[in-house]
Amino acid sequence: MTKKSAILHFGSDLVDKPIISGLIRNYDVSVNILQASITPEEDGTMFVQIEGEHAIVQKAFDYLRDHRVDMIFPAKNLIWDDKKCVDCGACVAHCLPRALTVDGSGKLQFNSERCIACELCIPACPYHALGSVSEHLS
Amino acid sequence: MTKTYEEINEKIKNGKAVVVTAEEVIEIVKDKGAKKAADEIDVVTTGTFGPMCSSGALLNTGHTKPRMNYKRAYLNRVPVYCGVAAVDLYIGVTAMPDDDPANKVFPGKFEYGGGHVIEDLVSGKDVVFEATSHGTQCYPRKEITATINIRDLPSATLLNPRNAYQNYNVAVNAHAKHPIYTYMGILRPNFGNANYCSAGQLSPLLNDPNYRTIGIGTKIFLGGGTGYVFYQGTQHNPEVPRNEKGIPMGGAGTLALVGDMKTMSRRYIRGVSMTGYGVSLAVGIGVPIPVLDEEMIASCAVSDADIMAPVWDYSEDYPNFQGKPIAHVSYAELGSGRINLQGREIETASISSMPMAREIAQTLKKWITDGNFLLTKPSAPIPGTGSGVKYHPFVERPVKGNK
Ligand code: SF4
Ligand code: SF4
Repeated sequence: MTKKSAILHFGSDLVDKPIISGLIRNYDVSVNILQASITPEEDGTMFVQIEGEHAIVQKAFDYLRDHRVDMIFPAKNLIWDDKKCVDCGACVAHCLPRALTVDGSGKLQFNSERCIACELCIPACPYHALGSVSEHLS
Repeated sequence: MTKTYEEINEKIKNGKAVVVTAEEVIEIVKDKGAKKAADEIDVVTTGTFGPMCSSGALLNTGHTKPRMNYKRAYLNRVPVYCGVAAVDLYIGVTAMPDDDPANKVFPGKFEYGGGHVIEDLVSGKDVVFEATSHGTQCYPRKEITATINIRDLPSATLLNPRNAYQNYNVAVNAHAKHPIYTYMGILRPNFGNANYCSAGQLSPLLNDPNYRTIGIGTKIFLGGGTGYVFYQGTQHNPEVPRNEKGIPMGGAGTLALVGDMKTMSRRYIRGVSMTGYGVSLAVGIGVPIPVLDEEMIASCAVSDADIMAPVWDYSEDYPNFQGKPIAHVSYAELGSGRINLQGREIETASISSMPMAREIAQTLKKWITDGNFLLTKPSAPIPGTGSGVKYHPFVERPVKGNK
């Protein structure tokens, strides 16, 4: 089994086409849509996780490519430093895939499975507790 | 039954004081009623932890040999104020290195500033000190570059002109089509998120809304050590409209705080970088409230549902000092992670930390329970409603002769 995350970008000519339903119908994969939005220019963006047999997941992405869907495959690139984290929660509203959440007692939880390394949370943390691996290495 | 400070301190010394946090007291008062709770409980501890920009450190380096009167000075390249006596220095938490790129590449990162210097000092790290002077007959030395460490300084005092705001704004971006970068964090367009910054039911001044026990001389938890309230804070404004429970409907009272940095710990004193805005310092504060009577414990039983915060637009109204709050929402709603504003669900984000506020209230509770922290009676109150003290905006008058 493979699980692969991607940010899909649909041009305005694709937004109203049943691409995702075609994907689910034709390939034995589960598609988890973490976040979807349509811009005023009517472009669509979707964060997805596609899960299934390795070869079939590959074919599913080929199918998307064939339908001219732009794709970004984020590297797992985020470092959450719990020693610097003060559990304020300022990052949570910026994490669209909900990799960052607060639990019942207000403590921050980081679920790296859900993280797509979009890095939107990094500038939102006032305490330097979030950073990218590349930043870390440089 | 009423209690005096002396009686409560006697109990603390004998290890007999009953201490609860401002969160724990809510249920107790609900279960037992204020009268019974006031008989049983002696002290309620509060806590808050968040960026507090009106903070700084007053440092004395000791005299150099030969002597020097610092006129321009830096700590880790961050400028330090030296318009006071020869070897006294004041470093404000929002100060930035002269060559910081600020917002030249927007949004700037503001990685290091006065708040971070203070965190480094409190952590016991070495800091580079540079200063120059014009030289005088009594203070001939003109330059110094040296490594300093807090343990070598004759004194290091945290001296904060305005902390612990009694309630605060909730910030949203109502009009800008792009994210805005504010001291309240990043606000996404179209009401993308609502940011707030108060410990609500744990916050010191919200538990003593009329400043009955928090006054000049009140001993407190400050940055992991002990400190004192030395005055009302700047912009102290007791006259802000209040709800039927007497809780201000927006930022009202403030406290000026002082404490010995050598007793503090990095856990509660943290440099802050607000992307696109600047640097600051997050300060941990805990204030004990003596349960003098039933009325006092009733005000400590305030809960997040009773405290309302004003929602302000930070894209146009706040910066231009115009308009009015979009709405008022309770801290119970804010804490749930979502507020409902004009029919929309908006995700909330806190800039201050509730888990840290809780930890501070618990720590102070332990100090008192263990007999290591006695309460002080204020030597004078800070001004309350009806005192005539009122905040007002800048009165801008043209300079004579200038057009
Ligand atoms: S990089 Fe940050 S915002 Fe993006 S998914 Fe990961 S945790 Fe969330
Ligand atoms: S913004 Fe930073 S400090 Fe606050 S909860 Fe997120 S990671 Fe932790």
